[in-house]
Amino acid sequence: MSGQVRVWDPLLRIAHWTLVASILAAWIATEIKLDAAKRAHEWAGYAALAVIALRLAWGWTGPRYARFAQFVRPVSATLAYARALIAHTEPRYLGHNPLGGWAVVALLALSAAAGLTGWLSVTDRFWGVEWVQELHEALGNALYFLVGLHLAGVVFTSWRHRENLVLAMLTGRKPAARPGDID
Amino acid sequence: MKPRFFLVALALSGALVPFSAARATGLATCDSGSKEGWQSQEKLTAMLKDKGWQVRRIKEDGGCYEVYALNEKGERVEAYFHPRTLAPVPTGSKDHKG
Repeated sequence: MSGQVRVWDPLLRIAHWTLVASILAAWIATEIKLDAAKRAHEWAGYAALAVIALRLAWGWTGPRYARFAQFVRPVSATLAYARALIAHTEPRYLGHNPLGGWAVVALLALSAAAGLTGWLSVTDRFWGVEWVQELHEALGNALYFLVGLHLAGVVFTSWRHRENLVLAMLTGRKPAARPGDID
Repeated sequence: MKPRFFLVALALSGALVPFSAARATGLATCDSGSKEGWQSQEKLTAMLKDKGWQVRRIKEDGGCYEVYALNEKGERVEAYFHPRTLAPVPTGSKDHKG
């Protein structure tokens, strides 16, 4: 094996796993029928919102692979990548591949929307307002679905390029670019 | 073989959905029988209004009426009531008889 390179910076990794923990905690809390669990669910939501705000700021100011400009690609390039994926000719990306990049954007947007509607639902103004409650629940369910899709993408891409992407998000390191890879 | 692997991965995402499907929030359940004997939500609303509550939403949850309201002090409350008796049901109650 040739060497490993640092791709994911520490703040990005901490943000990623803190968001995972918040979403997981919020999900588990909805399954526990206790008043305390409702409060835990709320705090998990606030934690998620704080992490998302941090991640958005990092997406403009952070190091190379953390920047949205590095991994959010035009629709045309994303479709071309999807076609290559179907043909089993898709290149390996050192950072996020085009579909993975859009997954990041969608996951951040959905979890922010779920967090904000949850926050609204416990304000005096929107307390008990049906559309806010229903919207929050729908966003939550959509988020769980997208998390599943993200996991599927991670497993699939890890398998395709023979690298452990979960480990990479823990250590920050990935095998260096090989010929044909996109840096 | 490759598409099959992708299907397995996709199934991973599908597997998460049933867990998250909407369910009773279930802070209490009521032994309230058939809806024939239930009192109306309008009556409950009127009763709570008299107490100075501002009722925002009434849902059925676990056989109880689940009420979202601002109480007489303007505090947010989520309270359960028995559909037959309209008596308050403490949260944590199982099969409350009313």
